[in-house]
Amino acid sequence: MPGIRTLKTGISGVRGVVGESFTPQLVSALGQAFGTYLTGGRVALGRDTRPSGEMVREALTGALLASGCRVVDLGVVPVPTLQIAISRSDNYDGGIAITASHNPQEWNALKFIRADGVFLYPYQAEELLNVFHQGDFTLVPNEEIGDLHYDDTALDLHLGLLLENIDVELIRRRRFRVVVDCCNGAGTKLAPRLLEELGCEVTVLNGEPTGHFARPPEPLPANLGALAAAVPELGADLGFAQDADADRLAVIDERGLPISEEFTVPLSAEVVAARGPLPLVTNLSASRLLEEVGRRWGCPVFRAKVGEINVVEMMQAEARAWGQAGHEPAAFGGEGNGGVIDPRLHYCRDSHRGMCLILEGLARREQKLSEWVAGFPPAAMVKLRVECPAARVQRVQLALREAYAGEGSLDETEGLRISWPDGSWLHVRPSNTEAIIRIMAEADTEPEARARGEHAQHLIEAALR
Amino acid sequence: MRVLKISVAGVRGIIGQTLTPELLVDFGQAFGTYLGGGRVLLSCDTRRSGPMVSASVRAGLMAAGCEVVDLGICPTAALQLAIKDSPATGGIAVTAGHNDASWNALKFIRDDGIFLNPRQSEELLDIYHLGRFSDAHWDELRPLQTDPQAGERHLEAVLAQVDRAAIRARDFTVAVDCANGACSLYTPRLLEALGCRVVAINTETHLPFPHPPQPSPENLSQLQALVRATDAAVGFAHDADGDRLGVVSETGAPAGEEATMCLCTEMILRRGDPGSVVTNYSTSLAVEEVARRYGRVVHRTGIGQAFITEAALNYQAAIAGEGSGGVVFPRLNYAHDGQAAMVHVLNLMAQSGASLSELIAEVVPRLVMAKRELPCPSEQAYSVLQRLRQEPEPAWVTDRLQEDGLLLRGDRRWVHVRVSQTEPIIRVIVETPTAEETDQLLQQYLTKVRRAM
Repeated sequence: MPGIRTLKTGISGVRGVVGESFTPQLVSALGQAFGTYLTGGRVALGRDTRPSGEMVREALTGALLASGCRVVDLGVVPVPTLQIAISRSDNYDGGIAITASHNPQEWNALKFIRADGVFLYPYQAEELLNVFHQGDFTLVPNEEIGDLHYDDTALDLHLGLLLENIDVELIRRRRFRVVVDCCNGAGTKLAPRLLEELGCEVTVLNGEPTGHFARPPEPLPANLGALAAAVPELGADLGFAQDADADRLAVIDERGLPISEEFTVPLSAEVVAARGPLPLVTNLSASRLLEEVGRRWGCPVFRAKVGEINVVEMMQAEARAWGQAGHEPAAFGGEGNGGVIDPRLHYCRDSHRGMCLILEGLARREQKLSEWVAGFPPAAMVKLRVECPAARVQRVQLALREAYAGEGSLDETEGLRISWPDGSWLHVRPSNTEAIIRIMAEADTEPEARARGEHAQHLIEAALR
Repeated sequence: MRVLKISVAGVRGIIGQTLTPELLVDFGQAFGTYLGGGRVLLSCDTRRSGPMVSASVRAGLMAAGCEVVDLGICPTAALQLAIKDSPATGGIAVTAGHNDASWNALKFIRDDGIFLNPRQSEELLDIYHLGRFSDAHWDELRPLQTDPQAGERHLEAVLAQVDRAAIRARDFTVAVDCANGACSLYTPRLLEALGCRVVAINTETHLPFPHPPQPSPENLSQLQALVRATDAAVGFAHDADGDRLGVVSETGAPAGEEATMCLCTEMILRRGDPGSVVTNYSTSLAVEEVARRYGRVVHRTGIGQAFITEAALNYQAAIAGEGSGGVVFPRLNYAHDGQAAMVHVLNLMAQSGASLSELIAEVVPRLVMAKRELPCPSEQAYSVLQRLRQEPEPAWVTDRLQEDGLLLRGDRRWVHVRVSQTEPIIRVIVETPTAEETDQLLQQYLTKVRRAM
């Protein structure tokens, strides 16, 4: 049985386990590869709170300076803060986020950012990896070595943009009582400040930026017990949970029930769409809740391959097309894991933007959060996995295509996605990071969704025999 | 010339060629492994590559579980003092000392503030070559600390070594050339604290070196002009990390590299500090003549700072140092310390009341030294040396040493033939009482070496 590899090198960056595979030598080589890829210029660095973050920062700094880049260290900041700082300045030629996001704390990772603050597109990431693997890095002589600066203004910039793009007065009037679980991560630097600016009475859980995560950093219902208990105990209106780098957001209702992280983007989208229709974009594996929002507010919905950068690329394309059709160019979207992307701030996942939108939605609706959620038609999702060596993925694909022929409508953008007239759907795709096939199914009820998912599981197992 | 030198004196290389981030990360982690973790202090000189080198080394140290304390830009002697005075397990000076700006280097320091001795360096190199480093678990990684005050504490400690009132009373005008090196930040204030009128040049740490950062006579023309123009009582020149000191007298003439050690030895022995004098095989006999006047023994060591400081510790010496202008004051610190040398020269001037040129004439015995180097491939160097050793000794020789090449000594004269540790050359160093004799002896030995090649 293939175990989890402790080093993952792919188009979404390079991840590894500190003390095992994520060594300073590896990080140094990656830093040099990025410096070589950029051929100099100014690079912004930001990191989450992991104790390994400083070691990684040092290795990158040395490598980037050696390749002739200038380095600006933004310190501990949420990933969206770093991306926004890069996007709003002409000074940067790129950036690197030092974070393993929702992965456990022994992991760390590098995510490479372009001059416009967006992660490298897949073909660019391939180019970078080619430079890395070839190992022939640019080294400049002493007099061309870059300099190192620090910048602590990025958080203020991000906070300012968040407040400019939301109805602050409306939210302040409601004096929401909010519990926020920052997971001892980079969100500690911004979320409590933001919520106070919005006039909320804030209780912060895991608010020390220690990097010793009091809970697993992925904001899944199973990891949010303390928050779920605190919300009703404190009589709060809702609870917010972030991951370590504060790109993903999960929400707890006033009764202390975690609403699925699949709701984060649809709820946020509803607030944006209420101001006027615009294209909504999510990935192939996200809940159909977004289509419901689209129906209510007259918005077209598009689905991209799984992965933030794929969603971003499609949003950019759809925003352009929307503009060409005579509207103000705009789009909104995100991923089912709670990653809200609002181009009004930037093409990045931002838990803080999600908080702002959901609070504005609550203020406008004068509803409890549970009532807002209950207004959506019932839906249940099931997520399953089957181990499958990469070499046999195609056999599975062929078998499934044959088995589902004539049923529903088929989308083969990434793996197979079948949607049926009753609103249920199934998405089967190989994982990018593990030797498994992921199965996602959604239907009106949990048993129906499970039946869809398990049927696919059996077909796959049969195909592998 | 080989552009990477991994030796007992540390790791030196050229930026953009051999001193790569990978190599630096590896050495950081190897040193962290060698130390078994603990607190490690780091300083750098003002080379543009300093932050690049430091960051890479810190990554390696941190990955090995060390708690890294960054002192920033400060003299290497200040780093060594900070290590001695703290529970640190060791430290690294990021400096190529007097080498030109394209070089940088790591110098490894142990918990007592002294450079690793050859045995310890070899152990570190074994770990490096083996490549099996300590990898700290994620929750054993320690945050980076800074200690920007180490240079200040060193300044105070240096001032406490001398008779401040006596120096203040003289109202010296002092010219100083900091070579835009690490002392730029400190030496002007050190001199002001001694009541001197300070005329400082090249104190911009962000600018390149204005001349090779070695305070030998050929690099002192700017300082000489400054001394004359300002009627200064003395001129001092630092190298990039402040371990060596060059001296220019009030006449504007360089005192010669060997004079720094002689003047400091005179001061320390005149003051009555107990103990012997330690110097290396290639330093002028003048030091021995100064020591003899005070009835002190002189111990000679191999070439290299680590040998000098180790011997100073072993013999509990009153003073140690070498002809290149690096002097160790054991009462202060087992480090080559240009700033300490500077204040001791001032102290000697203040106490004697004489001008510096008079002092040099009185204190520094008149001997003439000459050095020459001959290119010689490293792989041939030792057979050349072996052939020379087998030749019959000239009649004037009373004493023969073979620990570091071949050293022949007689009455007020010696010749030293040695293989450089840093370059593919053989050095011939000669000293006699007169220029004619020195030149004659030098030519004689250059011919012998050429013949042996």
